[in-house]
Amino acid sequence: MSLVLEGFLNTVALTLLSFAGALLAGLLVAVLRIVPVPLLRGVGAVYVEVWRNIPLLAWLVLFVFGLPEVGVKMPLFWTAFTAIALYEAAFVAEALRSGVNSVAAGQGEAARALGLSFRQTLRHVILPQAARRVVQPLANIAIALTMATALAGVVGVVDMTRAAQRINLELAQPLLVFTGVGLCYLVMAAGIGFGARVLERRLA
Amino acid sequence: MGRLFVAAVLLFVAGCSGGSDAVPGGSKIDTLLAKAPVYTGQVTPGSAVDRIKKRGKLLIGGSQDAPLLSQLDPISGELTGFDAYLGKLLAQYIVGKPSTELLSATSETREPLLANGTVDVILQTYTITPAREERVSFAGPYYESGQAIAVRKGTSGIAKPADLAGKTVIVGANTPGVKAVRDAAPTAKIVEFGSDPECVTALKQSRGDAYVQDQAILVADASKDSELQLVGEPFTEDPYGIGIKHGDAEFTKFVNDWLREIGKSGLWQDVWKQTIGTVVTGDAPAPPAIAS
Repeated sequence: MSLVLEGFLNTVALTLLSFAGALLAGLLVAVLRIVPVPLLRGVGAVYVEVWRNIPLLAWLVLFVFGLPEVGVKMPLFWTAFTAIALYEAAFVAEALRSGVNSVAAGQGEAARALGLSFRQTLRHVILPQAARRVVQPLANIAIALTMATALAGVVGVVDMTRAAQRINLELAQPLLVFTGVGLCYLVMAAGIGFGARVLERRLA
Repeated sequence: MGRLFVAAVLLFVAGCSGGSDAVPGGSKIDTLLAKAPVYTGQVTPGSAVDRIKKRGKLLIGGSQDAPLLSQLDPISGELTGFDAYLGKLLAQYIVGKPSTELLSATSETREPLLANGTVDVILQTYTITPAREERVSFAGPYYESGQAIAVRKGTSGIAKPADLAGKTVIVGANTPGVKAVRDAAPTAKIVEFGSDPECVTALKQSRGDAYVQDQAILVADASKDSELQLVGEPFTEDPYGIGIKHGDAEFTKFVNDWLREIGKSGLWQDVWKQTIGTVVTGDAPAPPAIAS
């Protein structure tokens, strides 16, 4: 039973921490992609294309087995956290960027015509409208991230899926065990979906 | 980077399903097939044997990434190893030709694959346990294995299974090693990796103090890598059985008769020599006694 709890808590912790990390890194990358400096925009674009176009499993294997070869060794949990957060950041960045782009250009022009500064334009005109529009895309990413944490089980982290596999190894009841695990993921994903709806209504 | 590449490739190979392997190739299996028996007795219409004969090939649930046991050679496309060869020989016995199809099975799919008839047999280091015998029928045991301990050369303080207590122990995901470590040293922290090369890399990168795995696989690893060292003898007895749909007593007896026959004729020992015997020194052991 302690194994089930350990797996569940690890999955929840990995999901929350990775998503927080992805939001932070993703925000930074999104800013890079929006600023009017070609070099920074290029850096942002390269980041997104490199990270999202290589499978997460490959990143996890590279991080867990590759980093120690160059002298960087973190605990497995934190290695998995880093890889997942950096990977999902690429998707977060694109969601944020499309949210900002969805605000019609005329709004920015109008704000400038009214004499608002760049910062004021962002803060009072662009971001409030963009925030509402990125809630659902971000919730999608958060749910995908929840499921993706199961991949950490392949590289030594005892997540919910890995715990279930260990239990099943003895019980030989895969349908029962994995239906249970599936329900746990469902509850987590439903929670994210519910939170997103509440947040969307608040921002409306 | 070499190791890393191998690990990555293995992962991808393991991820690919299917792997139809109807064409036998390679000299090892050919010499074995030359001696292989073919069943000539009565076949009950509608029985498992009848179905396999009519289909013309044996559907096996197994692995593609288990060295010495069932490993897909990425270049020749041939499946080699103890389990793989036994599968071919069983197909030869039933169908008259070594036509098999391997479906990638995992510890969470084995029982359903048998129950819903997707595969005829499971040949995948499938340890016979009382819990599993409630879900599937086992022919055999066809092999007696044991879990052993490997450490980095020069490691002190680990001489027997009880010494694993409180240590971090690397095991292959979904292998009998998980339970073996839990039974031998309940306070050991278990870290699982998907494949044997990953486990070896993890041990060398000090992700754990020891690596517990089937002795034959560890012997093979240590023979390739001088950084590895085996400690003591195997400390468990894992009887591997051939998984069969639960309750199919007729097919279970059929496979048991075949196992007895190849054990008596010396073919079982030949398969051992061609596979596990290439890394384990000494003569082939006696095949395990078939239970029923």
